[in-house]
Amino acid sequence: MEGLLQLLFNGLSVGAVYALFALGYTLVFSVLGVINFAHGAIFTLGAYFTYLLIGGAVGANGLLAGLQLPFALPFWLALPVAGMAAAAVALVVERIAFSPLRDRGSDPLLALITSLGAGVILVNLIQLLVGAESYSIPVGTLGSLPAALSIAGAKVRTVQVILLAIAGLLLAALSIWIDGSRSGKALQAVSEDPVTAQLLGINSGRMIQIAFGISGFLAGVAGGLVGLSVSIAGPYFGIGYGLKGLGVLVLGGLGSVPGAVLGGLIIGLAEACVPAELSGYKDAVSFGFLFLVLLIRPQGLLGRPQPNKV
Amino acid sequence: MKRRLASSLAALISAAAALSACQGSDDQGPVNLSKGVPVGAVLALTGNANVYGQDQKIGIELALAALNGAGGVNGKPLALSIEDGGSAEPSANAAFTLQINRGMLALIGPTLSQQAFSADPIAQRRGVPVVAPSNTATGIPEIGHFISRVSAQSSVIAPLSIAKALQLNPSIRRAAVFYAQDDAYSTAETVIFQQALTAKGLKPVTVQRTQLNDQDFQSQITAALNQKPDLVVLSLQAMDGGNLIRQLRELGYRGAIVVGNGMNTPNIYPICQKYCDGILIAQAYSPELATPANQRFTAAFAAAQARNPKVSPIPPQLTAQAYTAMQVIGEALARLDRSQPLKSLSVSQARRALMDEILGGTYQTPLGEIRFTPEGEVIQKNFFVAQVRMNAGGKSGRFSLLP
Repeated sequence: MEGLLQLLFNGLSVGAVYALFALGYTLVFSVLGVINFAHGAIFTLGAYFTYLLIGGAVGANGLLAGLQLPFALPFWLALPVAGMAAAAVALVVERIAFSPLRDRGSDPLLALITSLGAGVILVNLIQLLVGAESYSIPVGTLGSLPAALSIAGAKVRTVQVILLAIAGLLLAALSIWIDGSRSGKALQAVSEDPVTAQLLGINSGRMIQIAFGISGFLAGVAGGLVGLSVSIAGPYFGIGYGLKGLGVLVLGGLGSVPGAVLGGLIIGLAEACVPAELSGYKDAVSFGFLFLVLLIRPQGLLGRPQPNKV
Repeated sequence: MKRRLASSLAALISAAAALSACQGSDDQGPVNLSKGVPVGAVLALTGNANVYGQDQKIGIELALAALNGAGGVNGKPLALSIEDGGSAEPSANAAFTLQINRGMLALIGPTLSQQAFSADPIAQRRGVPVVAPSNTATGIPEIGHFISRVSAQSSVIAPLSIAKALQLNPSIRRAAVFYAQDDAYSTAETVIFQQALTAKGLKPVTVQRTQLNDQDFQSQITAALNQKPDLVVLSLQAMDGGNLIRQLRELGYRGAIVVGNGMNTPNIYPICQKYCDGILIAQAYSPELATPANQRFTAAFAAAQARNPKVSPIPPQLTAQAYTAMQVIGEALARLDRSQPLKSLSVSQARRALMDEILGGTYQTPLGEIRFTPEGEVIQKNFFVAQVRMNAGGKSGRFSLLP
């Protein structure tokens, strides 16, 4: 029983990271039908913003070497501020990489490539500004909270529990907004059919910007939380999560918000089920599992089948 | 149409032949000394291993300044060109090829053993001497005649820290081992650690595999803690190793931790912070070694670091080894130039003769006196075991030598 509980904790703690990352990914996809490959870079930025806002200094390399903000925010304030800063960057990415192509009615594949380019540019920009070294959010940032919790003999780091809780809260907030608000319904309408939505008086461009802003905020918060949990491993921090997030997105069902969370948690649990001695192979196992699920259910767990157009 | 195709093909073949002839003639042409004696370095300045590359760059530049300050190669300055090899094999290969094509007489690098197994064969095929400053995996000098190293291999130093852990706590009975399965250094060193444990009667109770880019170790750690180890042995690089130690301590492990050469850098301090305290590591360098060569080096390092008060004035091992690699090449070039003036040799002749000089010399370095075996393996006298002591606040610390 204790072993099963530990496995559950291990899976959920990793899965929460994937879910939080994939939430923003899926939101943009649901509206535009395009995967935003710059999402990983924005996630990375969220981690750096959080680090700087809590009083961290830039290292010895990069154009901003030695930079330290003249103030230091507590982590709980720095995290949403970092999320908002990341949202601002996401909006710039939308304006530069997506909007001009959309205005010209270009093939969505082109937007995918420009988002990839925007991601690469952002990563290189980070490297240019703050160097390639890793940064760490100080131990003890969570104040008097214990480093780990022990529940019925199973152990989990407190930061992972917080991550899981925040992922849950953000999912709930997002679901309430999408299903219960006028703007959320407008977003759904745009994702269903942007042309018809436009004819009904919905400003599609505005809704797309909102989707990008929220997506950037989620990525920024996810980056800050993962940065707190592990060290920020340089400008390429978000690349690995980007790949895993893509898998989660597909597993959950492209464009499905609850699917992103479910997919994240399932991938996390699949990884946790790999015997610890073989855990170096967990990526192969999780992607193998994804492959098997897609053979049975090509639209993903909560995705809708694509109707055949005649 | 056929004619046009044939002529295009012929032009392509001619161009390829001309290019390869060009490359051949570069190697056969005279050494270009117009900007100094060309020596190249390929270091991981970006990517996951950048923490090592940054340490190494400082060491190489300090040695360059010292050598040129003492007259360079019999009056000719050494001209150093550093290329970023990233932290991956393709980028290291590209950087090696670029440096070789530039006519470098010798190369320092690459930073990681994993990269060395990929890039060194390129230098070996082209007959370019390589002095590795930080490749500790088994089999590096065996890549070929032109490959040597100043970094003692893991089999020599790793067992020392196991012995020290047992000396400090003779009641240790259960050891857990972690290593990155996708990293040549880690996979080589863990075998040595496990053999050392077995030799001491401590068969590992669990061996956990990780991957170089892993950041979350919850599964591996909780599985290992179930085995109730009183010693944890890590063969990991700085980034993943530092993270693992932090998570290991946060999840409640209080026993001894022995780490391998990959974590032999003060750059782990910001990663595991206060949790770095107490970890044991065997080292091929001590800043406290009281030889003139080391005292000159430590003084130069402290002077260079004085500009940044946040940085420790005590040189790390990787900086000392990189300094040594540059010193070895500089001294060997000077000897070669005295016996066969470089300007009288072709690039390939100079490279071949330089390799013989490198292997034939004895060097007074920050690592102590070193020599090479005919295969290019370093022969070194002094090894140490240190324990990390973190300062209050856990932001900085030092490798404290154990008697």
